Amino acid sequence: MKKLLCLGLFLIALPAAAAMDAAQILQKVDRNLEPESYETYRKLIDIQPDGSRKEYVLYTLKKGRDKVLALFLSPPSDKGRATLRIGDNMWLYLPDVGRPIRITSLQSVTGSVFNNADILRIDYTSEYDAESVEEQKDVYLLSLKAKTGEVAYDRLKMWVDKRALLPVTIEAYASSGLLLKTLHFKDVKDFGGGIKRPATLETDSPLYKGYKSVMLWSALKKGSFPDEVFTLNYLPRVQELRK
Amino acid sequence: MSRPPGSRVRCSLLLLMLAAHAAAAEEYSFDASAFEKKPFELGGYLQLKQEDFALNRSGAFYKLGNLNRPQRDTLDRSTATLELIGKLRPGVGTFDFHTHSDLQRDQLAHDHSNVLYEGAYSIRPDPGVTLEAGKRTLRWGKGYAWNPIGFVERAKDPNDPELSREGLVMANSDLIINREGPLQTIAFTPVLLPVQSDINRDFGAAGHLNPAGKLYLLYYDTDLDFAWQGKGSRPGRFGMDFSRNVGSNFEIHGEWARIQQLARPVTDSAGRIATRTENATSYLLGLRYLTQTDTTYIAEYYRNGTGYSEQEAREYYQLVDTAFAQLQQTGSSMLLPKALSLSQGAYGRPNAGMDYLYFRAQQKDALGVVYFQPSITVMMNWQDRSYQLTPELLYTGVKNLDLRLRLFLLQGASLTDFGEKQNSRKLEFYARYYF
Repeated sequence: MKKLLCLGLFLIALPAAAAMDAAQILQKVDRNLEPESYETYRKLIDIQPDGSRKEYVLYTLKKGRDKVLALFLSPPSDKGRATLRIGDNMWLYLPDVGRPIRITSLQSVTGSVFNNADILRIDYTSEYDAESVEEQKDVYLLSLKAKTGEVAYDRLKMWVDKRALLPVTIEAYASSGLLLKTLHFKDVKDFGGGIKRPATLETDSPLYKGYKSVMLWSALKKGSFPDEVFTLNYLPRVQELRK
Repeated sequence: MSRPPGSRVRCSLLLLMLAAHAAAAEEYSFDASAFEKKPFELGGYLQLKQEDFALNRSGAFYKLGNLNRPQRDTLDRSTATLELIGKLRPGVGTFDFHTHSDLQRDQLAHDHSNVLYEGAYSIRPDPGVTLEAGKRTLRWGKGYAWNPIGFVERAKDPNDPELSREGLVMANSDLIINREGPLQTIAFTPVLLPVQSDINRDFGAAGHLNPAGKLYLLYYDTDLDFAWQGKGSRPGRFGMDFSRNVGSNFEIHGEWARIQQLARPVTDSAGRIATRTENATSYLLGLRYLTQTDTTYIAEYYRNGTGYSEQEAREYYQLVDTAFAQLQQTGSSMLLPKALSLSQGAYGRPNAGMDYLYFRAQQKDALGVVYFQPSITVMMNWQDRSYQLTPELLYTGVKNLDLRLRLFLLQGASLTDFGEKQNSRKLEFYARYYF
């Protein structure tokens, strides 16, 4: 009887232990991808089926688990635009409009396959619960579920390199089960300061057949920024933060 | 000695692969050093615009605007616009400037203008404190087409809400406090806006300093603004707005404003003008919704407390009709100067009515063409049911170039808001090159 009770308790505890492992892996992935607070330059490239491209350059700051700011430096038509994210709240500042407007995570400020949630990504652990992990040959397969209905993707399947604990591929799904896009992390690079992570992210989507978007990182480094920077009133002045 | 064909093919393939690899490496190269901050930055755009108007010869505003001019059914206008936007960083602060120059030509007139839209110097003694003085455009409010709490700015054109506008000379500052908890941000923006004979003349009566302020709160994931402008060149006013995301694709917003003791000229059809002084309350409710197929809907209802009811507007249009009937019959009219004067004031504003509905639907990447965005906008005077329908095609797929084609179709019976405008249709095309 005692043995049966122990077995029962073990079986009850098993999924919790597995979930804990998945959560720990996800936490490692978050920190291996980026320091909690950092600054970086990113280039977004949208590639159309005919091969023509449109490129954007963004200066990005992140503080803590859920504050991100991105300033458009190029092309000239978008220069001075700034986007801010605090948790589920997102805003876009257009210099001509002169005031920030609320945007939603499923929109895209660049009009590319990357939506605002991709461009202003915060820690995965802030948005998703790691439900399970499946160990495969060289990778862990994490199943993630959005914590709230305001998160852009309802579920993620994340393949994580076992050795580096960095994501290799992520599939993003809508609540209907529809595959919205696939993200491919490539080109692991040493940025210095103990940051070694993919410098290239490619995405494609069955909803945009033939189109591809690419994100490149450069000059990624740890940073420390005042909280006031991550406010709407600061958006018109973000340009002054750059060294 | 010749190589076997298979070897040549392999060699060519190898070269091709090497070239492709080199191209791929080149394709994704990125060096951030080219984007470091510079002491002087200059950008802007050059725009060429063509507008073809179908004039509404029976409309009150056509008649008043074309008095003593050759009468026309159409008008073609070409406009070249240059806007320069720059930053200069001398010492501790930053000097921002924004200039606007245009050259306009149609069958009736040639015109040009050079305006300094913005020119302000700012310093930041602390990340949470900004002090600024100069000419600046402050835009308050959350509405897309209208902003009842836009107390210290020139009126927005609801036909082009994202168009840059001339600012006002002011001293202002920003005080920001960020904290943890449900109240995440507190930001206060005090403003002093002087009006003299040569400064901010069109803001209101000269000889006032015009204090104003806005308090912004991010409270429980909701943007809240409380705005105030003291009595001075204009009657005192206060108001608030809010904006909130209620889903990953759904935003709601609203504004409310009260102007105290606003003097409003009201005429009857016989030209008896009375000045009504009363509190005016305006408000706006709106939403923005994005579908799974990337269609964005924007809808707003605007109650313009400073506007004219259907009956008041009707009386004014009847006055204009009577004035022109007198002019035709007798060669002169006592009523015409009154009608003309009112048209240059409150009756001649772009949205002088009391209740408006605004609806816009825009489709991203329509017909499978990336950067092609068709949209349709309807603006309706809810009281007299007249409206303006604006189909639009926008293409931004060419580097640094925006191409936009719009058709304005105005529909309304006689003695209605959109039925009495100067034109009944307008076709507009512009090419805007950013540099």
